[in-house]
Amino acid sequence: MRKSTTCLAAVAGVATLALAACGGVQNTAGGGSDSGDYPSGAVDMPVGASAGGSSDLISRQISRGLTDELGGTFPVINREGANGALAAAEVAKAKADGSTISVQNASLFTITPLAVSEDEATSIDDFDVVQGVSRDDYVLVASKGSGFTSIDDFAKADGKITYGTTGVGTGAQLACALTYNVNETPAEAIPFDGGAPALTALLGDQVDTACLQVGEAIENIKAGKIVPLSVFGPERVGFLPDVPTAKEQGLDVEVTQYRFMTVPKGTPQDVQDAIAEAMQATFETSTYQDFNETNNLTPLEIPGDEVKAMLEEDKQRYADLVEEYGIDLGNAG
Amino acid sequence: MDWNAFLDGFGVVTEPNNLLYCLIGVLIGMLIGVLPGLGPTATMAILLPIAYNASDPVSAIIMLAGIYYGAQYGGTITSVLLRIPGEASSVVTVFDGFALAKQGKAGTALGIAAIGSFVGATVSIIGLTFLGPIVAGYALDFGPPEYATLALLGVFMVASIGNGNTVKALIAAAVGLLLATVGSDSFTSANRYTFDTLQLQGGIDFVVVAMGLFGVGEILYNLEERHGKVHVPAAIANIWPSRKDLKEASPAIGRGSVIGFFLGVLPGGGAVMASLAAYATEKRVAKDKSRFGRGAIEGVAGPESANNAAATSSFIPLLTIGIPANASMAMLFTALLVVGVTPGPSLIDDNPELFWGVINSMYIGNLILLILSIPLVGVFVKILRVRPAILAPITALITILGVYTINNSVFDIFVMITFGIIGYLMKKTGFEPGPLVLAFVLGSLMESNFRRSMLIFDGDPTGFLTRPISGTILAFLLMVLLYPLVKLLFRRRTPATTPDTENHDQEAGLR
Amino acid sequence: MSERDTRAADEPDILAEIQAEVARELEEDRPPVGGPAYQVVAAIVVLVLGLAAAYLAQGYGLGTLQRPGPGLWPFAVSVLIAVLAVVLLVIGRRLEDAEKFSRASLLVLAGGATFVGLGVLLPTIGFEIPSVLLCMVWLRFLGGESWRSTIVIALATTATFYLLFLYALGIPLPHLIAF
Repeated sequence: MRKSTTCLAAVAGVATLALAACGGVQNTAGGGSDSGDYPSGAVDMPVGASAGGSSDLISRQISRGLTDELGGTFPVINREGANGALAAAEVAKAKADGSTISVQNASLFTITPLAVSEDEATSIDDFDVVQGVSRDDYVLVASKGSGFTSIDDFAKADGKITYGTTGVGTGAQLACALTYNVNETPAEAIPFDGGAPALTALLGDQVDTACLQVGEAIENIKAGKIVPLSVFGPERVGFLPDVPTAKEQGLDVEVTQYRFMTVPKGTPQDVQDAIAEAMQATFETSTYQDFNETNNLTPLEIPGDEVKAMLEEDKQRYADLVEEYGIDLGNAG
Repeated sequence: MDWNAFLDGFGVVTEPNNLLYCLIGVLIGMLIGVLPGLGPTATMAILLPIAYNASDPVSAIIMLAGIYYGAQYGGTITSVLLRIPGEASSVVTVFDGFALAKQGKAGTALGIAAIGSFVGATVSIIGLTFLGPIVAGYALDFGPPEYATLALLGVFMVASIGNGNTVKALIAAAVGLLLATVGSDSFTSANRYTFDTLQLQGGIDFVVVAMGLFGVGEILYNLEERHGKVHVPAAIANIWPSRKDLKEASPAIGRGSVIGFFLGVLPGGGAVMASLAAYATEKRVAKDKSRFGRGAIEGVAGPESANNAAATSSFIPLLTIGIPANASMAMLFTALLVVGVTPGPSLIDDNPELFWGVINSMYIGNLILLILSIPLVGVFVKILRVRPAILAPITALITILGVYTINNSVFDIFVMITFGIIGYLMKKTGFEPGPLVLAFVLGSLMESNFRRSMLIFDGDPTGFLTRPISGTILAFLLMVLLYPLVKLLFRRRTPATTPDTENHDQEAGLR
Repeated sequence: MSERDTRAADEPDILAEIQAEVARELEEDRPPVGGPAYQVVAAIVVLVLGLAAAYLAQGYGLGTLQRPGPGLWPFAVSVLIAVLAVVLLVIGRRLEDAEKFSRASLLVLAGGATFVGLGVLLPTIGFEIPSVLLCMVWLRFLGGESWRSTIVIALATTATFYLLFLYALGIPLPHLIAF
């Protein structure tokens, strides 16, 4: 027994060294520190997505920036599930002292409520919005095998067109559903668990088209494996300058995803200010700007109250559109 | 393929700096593999900042990749010694690995697993080197109908791999499928079996179920078993696999490696299917099927080779088409983005030194893993000399704290305890946890792909038969199901020529 | 494979096989078999589970094959469970794979209780004290170790976990002692 313990300790030692060599030992969670300055101890950053998705990447980038600016640690904790509702509920319930903060998705507040029952919908009123972060555009892409090169080609299709989405209640689903409904094309939504499986299905010609986030699709668009048909932002996306917006093609569809920093409702203003300032300082760094560039994210570094107004406006607009065209997001399949 | 780039890749790896990163990655991987709960994905997430800070991005990626495949081997150790499978793909290793350990042959099991892992991974890296892009294309032919039928085949394999009563195995598997539906439905976001608890909305984590049913169930069961008995330290027969073991295991290692390579390319569930298929194959080709579940060395060799081969070939979709096949690959995807490389079809042309550096580091990393694990097998085996009275609380703590770390959730601890008690009761009433856990993993794959298929087929189930791959899988399934019947008929007609070595219960158990 | 090889490999095998045989026998030194009542109760529990799950599932909405509802799949699986339970009820009475509960089964309850205790205490007072307590209960009362080794092992184990999780791996874990 003793021998194996020693061995374990030795292995642990190696790991410690490895960690210490690159960034230092983290003393996370629940420490008994009670000094006045923010942050005192570790600040949890739950993110409602699995490791590796855009939301996760952005959270980690912000976490790193906050650590650099404010000191302390900001561990990102992946709480996947229900398009972020699980993580949101955790943040809403957390102590409003800045010890739990979270970068959240607009779609959770603007689109998910259209798909789930009222009591399950997450309300923005449970949070204070601290700072806008960035925008992530959706793109409608077609598989090579489908033969579509523009939205006009849909008219030539015989039978239903299938479209992959990144899940129920996501912006990708809404964007696609609206496009097909406004264009009066018969189509069937096939929800996948996130962008990667939807992209895989599209590459394998399992679905005809799909709505994805630009960052997920761009490499395969550049390589010519899939064909971009439309983007859904108010203007064209800098990373895909040749792809027209839906509006340009005569379809009144505008859906974007954006992310912003939230804290539980009632978090002291000075804490919120400290976070916002640290984030703005992070936005100035070249590392962060490079990060946006590689991930095809458009900065949306606006103050929290503007984000909130935008959220409310989008929510109303989507609700109206969905009602007008009789789309039921919750019953995609 | 570009030989110069390939050889340059070796140049990259053998830089002392990169070798060191590779070693550290593999070591950390092994350590966290031994600790149940904390998987490679979480560790890679924790260590991601290294990618930001490393002077050379290739080093960081090599280290993170090392964590991933190091963890694959580490997970075997707990499966064999403590009956705690760290992840879905090592569940089947438990069956024969733990039985071998009980017979004092833990060293044999771990040794063969190490060799099998090495061979499996190496075969797979060679495959990746030469066939990567081709195989990636075939993975794309697998759409929802193919996954649905593959998962169906998997569930039937699950029910056939146990040693107990077939009806009970089927019940356990069906309960596993049912448990997989707990949580928010990904098609309609309706809540199913969540009983208004938010924590259940995201579903139940595999590790929580597996550690409960296997780990905690075993600990509790032993508590009762041990009572009033004098502990006889397990005789450790031989630490190293004998030549006979090697001879018995090598065909299994070969088959496992190939199965693993091909199934591992499929994103989502590939590694589980691989280990399952390898086990089922070994059991089917074996002359004496009754040895399985009681310490058949092929039962460790096949699946272990397969899951390591699969772990390696799951790099293929990431590196060639930019699709992460599992959560760990998604982490690696992230790391690549962090260092400014977007994985995609053009990776091999744009960043050959990275592409080949990472692939070639796997040759070296697996070699390091093999060299490391040989002395470590001796050390780990000694754990079995520890009195169960001492080992039990330590195992208990590992499972509880390990489960907590998955989601930082106390709720998960209670779910695990519940499954622990269920596992104990199952053992008392003759149900095996294996089919339940494996069906649980396959359940969501099966349901969501079945539903996707029905949407694609517009409600017409004959679509499964008319697509070439799913049709073939279904035909194969039918053949496997009917085979025992046909064989029985055949045997009745020619009783003299067929040696009747198999016992009939077993035959029934295969159905 | 040459014949000499086979023979050379055979010799140590006989030993190994005998050992395996002994081990197998030891393994099969199991408690008395539980009677038909065990099988019947188990089958009925499964049946109830299947029926209850099926009832809940149809409440989620079955939909159609064309557009499967959220309840269709769980409903099908639950019905399958119920059917299998009935089959087990019919054919399983004489199975001998159940084990009788004995007085020692109460130990399992005690063991389970320590798990629950740790889970309850973890978020409030950190993991150290409950871990030491759990080890002590298991070592001294459930395992019959001496007090001396109980204390040493309990403390050493907890300390090792402390270092491993918080320092070596840097994983968040509620803890009391902070440096």
